[in-house]
Amino acid sequence: MSHLNMDSVARATPRHLSRRIRGLSDRAIAWVFVAPTIFLLLAVNIFPLIWTIRLSFTNYAANRPNAEVQWIGLRNYERILSDPDTWATMQATAHFLFWTIVFQVMIGFALAWLINQKFRGNDLWTTIIVLPMMLSPAVVGNFWTLLYQPQLGLFNSIVGFFSGADPTSFSMIGDVHLAPWSIVIVDTWMWTPFVMLICLAGLRSIPDSIYEAAECDRASRWRQFWTITVPMVLPFLMLAVLFRGIENFKMFDLVVQLTGGGPGNITTLTSIELKREAFEKWRTGYSSAYAVILFVTVFGLASIYVKALNRVKDR
Amino acid sequence: MAEVVLRNLAKSFGTTQAVRDVSFTVPDGAFVVLLGPTGAGKTTLLRLIAGLERPDCGEIMIAGRPVASDTPAERNVAMVFQQYSLYPHMSVRDNLAFPLRSPMLRTPEPEIALKVRAVAETLKIAHKLDNKATALSGGEMQRVSIGRALVRAPSIYLMDEPLSSLDAKLRTDLRVELKRIQTSLGATFLYVTHDQIEAMTMATHVGVLDEGRLVQFGTPREIYETPASLYVAGRLGLPRMNMLPAALFAGAPPGAQTIGLRPENIVQGTGRPARVVRIEHLGDQTRLHLVFDGHEIVTLTDPHTGLEPGDLVPIEPMNPLYFDADGARIARGDY
Ligand SMILES: Nc1ncnc2c1ncn2[C@@H]1O[C@H](COP(=O)(O)OP(=O)(O)OP(=O)(O)O)[C@@H](O)[C@H]1O
Ligand SMILES: [Mg+2]
Repeated sequence: MSHLNMDSVARATPRHLSRRIRGLSDRAIAWVFVAPTIFLLLAVNIFPLIWTIRLSFTNYAANRPNAEVQWIGLRNYERILSDPDTWATMQATAHFLFWTIVFQVMIGFALAWLINQKFRGNDLWTTIIVLPMMLSPAVVGNFWTLLYQPQLGLFNSIVGFFSGADPTSFSMIGDVHLAPWSIVIVDTWMWTPFVMLICLAGLRSIPDSIYEAAECDRASRWRQFWTITVPMVLPFLMLAVLFRGIENFKMFDLVVQLTGGGPGNITTLTSIELKREAFEKWRTGYSSAYAVILFVTVFGLASIYVKALNRVKDR
Repeated sequence: MAEVVLRNLAKSFGTTQAVRDVSFTVPDGAFVVLLGPTGAGKTTLLRLIAGLERPDCGEIMIAGRPVASDTPAERNVAMVFQQYSLYPHMSVRDNLAFPLRSPMLRTPEPEIALKVRAVAETLKIAHKLDNKATALSGGEMQRVSIGRALVRAPSIYLMDEPLSSLDAKLRTDLRVELKRIQTSLGATFLYVTHDQIEAMTMATHVGVLDEGRLVQFGTPREIYETPASLYVAGRLGLPRMNMLPAALFAGAPPGAQTIGLRPENIVQGTGRPARVVRIEHLGDQTRLHLVFDGHEIVTLTDPHTGLEPGDLVPIEPMNPLYFDADGARIARGDY
């Protein structure tokens, strides 16, 4: 059969081209196919990365391309790392990352576990739960600014209803203490379904027969949960955490739409800060250094994490 | 260890009746083997006893107590699953220790370690204790699965074809070992197998299932020598019993439709001639394929036989079994 296909392919290929291809070794043909991809990767990933690293040692400003560019060594890095604002944004990012992951893992796993209990209509519930994830972050941001409105917002009235507090007495977005939580809540609302889906895949991958064996081995439901369900879903859960962690480290659109980094710069995440430095203040060299620092941080954390993930999988 | 009584047990899945009206008793300390072709309901029966499946009707009593509302844990049965069902994320050691770590047993850790090692040595998997359960061959997985049952002292061991994927030598060794364990502990076993030797050598009782129905229950000798029907007669015996029209030979009792001839029921050297078609040397036996009056017959012969395909051998039945038109055996006293 493959013989036949090769023939027809050869016939469909223009004579001069086919002659040229026939002259190449398998290895050379492989390179011919791979080369465009490698070239593209180099052009859009590797080259900008190297260029950024180079720029980070200069005082280059992209809005003044004709100005003289000076090589200033590690000055950009020194300034960034000694600036208290940097640490404030790092802290805001850490707070956002940590709590979104904690909530999304706990709620996502719990939802997946519930959905996996075979009850009627669980497919419908899955669809409903997954909806927020399909919305555009800009829409979600806008929509939650309305929900967070002290006078009219649904969120405030619900919290007011259950806590007895006056709904107009607090503003999730305007308050320095509440704003960091406001973005955690919205991101959790939007992305918990993603964690749930991955956990659900993990839960569904555990065959019933293993629970039956455990049942015969006299393990209680509680013990089955901790010795079978959790360890077998853990690799999936860790993968979800990796995805969410990387995504949220880069979080930009949702938060800009919601709080714009405020009040003050209490919800200014690193990516927002980076964008301001690069495209509002036009400090290209400085922001390149900033980007390199972020890149190294994410890359380092992710590598350590992936190692741990592999260890869990091979256990 | 305990006696297990089944009364009028039935279970269907949709339109499939997997188990129909099965009643029998597994006496305390007995080794009961279940025989039956694929799909006969053997696994379903074990699952019903284990409590993994709820019967449509009927009663199960373990140690004299009805267990209808008990969970598998409360029934205290140990099951070896046909498809092993190991815990894939655990090591072999943890798989074997899992039942012992049940809070219901409160076994201290050093004792668990001792028991796990002892069982692993019995099953010849001690060198694999630290392997992950998925990094094993099929036969090794099967032995871990047996081990997971043997570390405990349950009221009954339920084993679903536990030796099916082992090589001949290991299978013989473990067969002897399991039987030894059973007699020394006085343990109660309900054991599914397709292997004739396992059934004949290990069983104190054999139950034969046909499409969910228990068609005969008795000692292995009873099942072999006085099968209730053609179906049961076909379950045991290698080569299988030859089933021929009764009229082929003289001396059939009235009503007999089929004559059942096992190799030992065929005398060679006297009677009417049969033509040799093929001779198979299986090592422990030599099979002789004959054609007699247009019917194929398989029997045994001497390994150093001088017979060749095409030769004629006179044969004659001796103490054969007779079956009526429904396949039921006609009792010896009746002819
Ligand atoms: N969960 C189930 N759902 C539907 N039908 C089932 C289920 N389990 C078993 N059956 C059916 O019940 C019948 C008996 O199955 P069972 O597994 O008990 O057979 P078995 O005797 O163990 O066969 P084997 O020797 O192949 O293991 C079969 O017809 C099977 O298709
Ligand atoms: Mg079966």
